[in-house]
Amino acid sequence: MRASYALSIHAVGLSLGSVDGLDEVHLARVAGLVKRLEPALVSDHLSWSSYGGRYFNDLLPLPYTEEALAVVVRNVQRLQEVLGRQVSIENPSCYLSFAQSTLSEPEFLGELVRLSGCGLLLDVNNIAVTAHNLRLDPRGWLDLPGEAITQYHLAGHAVNDADGETILIDDHGSRVSDGVWALFADVVQRFGRRPTLIEWDTDLPPLTVLLDEAARADRLVAIGDGNAARAA
Amino acid sequence: MPLALRDLQAAFAAHLAGADRADLAAEVLAAAVLGDAIPAAARLSVHRHHVFESLGSALAATFPTVQALVGAEFFRGLARAFIGRSLPTQPVLAEYGAGFPAFIAGHDAARDLPYLADVARLDWALNLAFHTPPGGRLAAADLAALPADRLPSLRLSLAPGTVLVASSYPLARIWAASQPGAAADPVDLAAGGVRLLVLRRPDDAAFVPLSVGEAAFVTGLGQGLSLEEAAGRAETNFDLSTCFARLLGLGVFAAAQ
Repeated sequence: MRASYALSIHAVGLSLGSVDGLDEVHLARVAGLVKRLEPALVSDHLSWSSYGGRYFNDLLPLPYTEEALAVVVRNVQRLQEVLGRQVSIENPSCYLSFAQSTLSEPEFLGELVRLSGCGLLLDVNNIAVTAHNLRLDPRGWLDLPGEAITQYHLAGHAVNDADGETILIDDHGSRVSDGVWALFADVVQRFGRRPTLIEWDTDLPPLTVLLDEAARADRLVAIGDGNAARAA
Repeated sequence: MPLALRDLQAAFAAHLAGADRADLAAEVLAAAVLGDAIPAAARLSVHRHHVFESLGSALAATFPTVQALVGAEFFRGLARAFIGRSLPTQPVLAEYGAGFPAFIAGHDAARDLPYLADVARLDWALNLAFHTPPGGRLAAADLAALPADRLPSLRLSLAPGTVLVASSYPLARIWAASQPGAAADPVDLAAGGVRLLVLRRPDDAAFVPLSVGEAAFVTGLGQGLSLEEAAGRAETNFDLSTCFARLLGLGVFAAAQ
């Protein structure tokens, strides 16, 4: 498979925001996999999931402060050093933000790129989920350094009730929403074509539905890419 | 003064494990500032809910037979109680749940279903075997060049993933009756115990029942005894050559290094 296709290894457990630093045992396992498969892309999230020797299996939010930036830069640098290659960092779905934050998420990601040399994996559904849940303008993410973006993600989200207000949950269990498609069109127009993945891993649909979603993404990429080229 | 990142993550970790942390809630940007009516506690609970739900799903995937026996709803309760006291210590979910069989043995559910902990041990052994790389196996042809008189003193390594699960209940029948689509034949719990040898096969993991003598022999080999010494652990009428041929055919031994 590796000989015929470019692979993307997408990690969820490296816990790049952990103040404890990286779990060297897990890091060695991921490094072994990367060495064996020689993927085109390696990625994980701007989040943390381990503390004090316990692993929570969730992408937990970081405060966007200089202190947290220094921690993530150090961990991403360690990861890139052990893998011997660039990794891409994905914007997470957020359900809360911290009062102590002094940077926006796009500003934080931009600084991370500048200081660590990492790439960015832009998850358009996560932008929509975070922007809705935190009452932010999704266009803020269009200020990211586009040349660092290596990949796009798309997915469906659930719409839940929280004390009478809606909260969006990134559950990868339905079609991409109309709002996310519209945002994706803006993203491609702004940054151009990138490898794009539709994430759907709960409540799997028939294959025809997945192919339909992939075809829709292809159409938007083709239109947006043409517009981006003309604008350049 | 905002919490330092280390204190923030410590408080968040305590929250996820079930504690109420006012210092953490105070760090979350308030609804009044965001301009909505979602309290900090509701936002934080999204994460606690996800931790328990996703780890519960991981346990259900690792212990499918336990879930089939007790039902999805009761299993969720068992899982929640276990997760609260035994969060994973590393990120590989296929390696999470080593303590679940012992937890079940000490749980109220074990009073009504005394075999449930043994079922969990079998599920766990199958899970471990399945996630073990298959590796090379010793074949009869590998031993052809060996002089016959050397065979008794031979020491062999069990293939990775190979493990014996013993139970005083008819575990193989309980397991089979719990598989999807199995006929609803009643299982006689007084039918007697079994010794099941769990194996990594080329494409999956499976188990085979062993006789008392075979189980004692395999246990001896696993402790590093020679064939002859391990055979001494079995009953007096143990047929070494028949047993050894069977185990060899099953692929129980790792290829010689």
